[in-house]
Amino acid sequence: MTTGLRSAMPCVVALTIILLSGCASSDRPPAPRMRPSSAALTDLRRLVVVTTGESRFTVLHGVKEPGRSFDDVVKWLPGKDILAPIARALYSGLSWLLDADRAERTVPRDVVPGTVVAEAFARALQVSGPFNQIVPMDHEPVGDDRRLADAIVRLTVPSWGLMRVREGDADVVAGFADVRAQMVVRETGVIVWEHEEDVTHPGRLSLEAFKHDAGLTRQDLVDVLERAGRRLASELVYAQDGRR
Amino acid sequence: MIPRAPRLIAGVIAVLGIATACASRTVDVSYPQTEVKKALLANVAPRRVVVAPVTDRRGDKDRIGATPVDRKPIVTARQVADIVRDALIREVEKNGHQVVAGPGDVILAADVEEFWLDAVGRSSATQYVGRVAIALAVADGETGDRVWSRRYVGIRRQTAEADSKTAWREVMDTALARTMRDVATDADLALSLARTPR
Repeated sequence: MTTGLRSAMPCVVALTIILLSGCASSDRPPAPRMRPSSAALTDLRRLVVVTTGESRFTVLHGVKEPGRSFDDVVKWLPGKDILAPIARALYSGLSWLLDADRAERTVPRDVVPGTVVAEAFARALQVSGPFNQIVPMDHEPVGDDRRLADAIVRLTVPSWGLMRVREGDADVVAGFADVRAQMVVRETGVIVWEHEEDVTHPGRLSLEAFKHDAGLTRQDLVDVLERAGRRLASELVYAQDGRR
Repeated sequence: MIPRAPRLIAGVIAVLGIATACASRTVDVSYPQTEVKKALLANVAPRRVVVAPVTDRRGDKDRIGATPVDRKPIVTARQVADIVRDALIREVEKNGHQVVAGPGDVILAADVEEFWLDAVGRSSATQYVGRVAIALAVADGETGDRVWSRRYVGIRRQTAEADSKTAWREVMDTALARTMRDVATDADLALSLARTPR
């Protein structure tokens, strides 16, 4: 390599990095979604509520990031620069495996999260919402069910389960459900309302308590799913801006 | 010697104030006016509402949590009871009712039972859980008799940096907002307000 080419190398590398970084996706947050106007929600009287998508049950109790005691041990190891990242990866992997095993042993198999959320959502709207008819269904409506609906609310529960919510001598977990809702006007396909929410059970217990009592676990999880349905209904009513 | 005493006291107070500020982290939790909408309470004919001073019944009134890294107390810029009372007043006024010092048609009394921020982990993926729990009671404005009561809990989970003051505030703001929205969309509360004589 000639001396001229060698001296030009840093500039070529820098230029390549700049060009590549220009092509890479930016870290800027996505543009905020348009908030539907409350006027768009008027005259919708008959709703069909359907559940869509997969739901993943998880028990997140393990800490993916090792704590201070881990760092205290690792810093004395010979070759810590190489060993520390390997040990960290191993720690995270084991933690994930333990969580997956716990989830497999804890999941109440007779609970369909989307159905529980949809039914609680419909019940809450019947009491407080401006709608005349709310029909929860476990599939997209067809025929008369679809023709008679003013709008379709699609509910998704991407994840639910148990999650550590307080750190300390006695770590505690609570039921959780992450939920999404989207209301679409049947005739036009226009999305008039969207909402995402992290819902957490107000009650907190040790993971041991849940592990040893399947009935308690089931009840807690159903409670948090029903709470999710009520929370979504509350947000929908609030989005109406007083219209009934 | 005597004139120096007030100066000395003022100096001690100033030093103590600075020391307290350094030892704790302050977040300005609030329920912004722009977030407030009309809800079910707007369907009730306008009432003169006395929003009684909010009682702080938290076990630990000195803080709302501790920083994940160094466990310093996190405190609110204003009294928690005032934050909750202001939020209630905003909801009541937005829904077309008049908040009066007294006497009124109805008395709204609230107790704060929890206003707390938990943090799990100490990394860039620290999970925060903010909880706001209040007990709300409706009383007849004339007799003072309690006619209805209910508890509300607003919870927010969010993953953020371990030292993110912005995240602490956002988590508690949202927990408070969720509590207030549950209040504003409660059909039973609206019904109990409607039943109070005007």
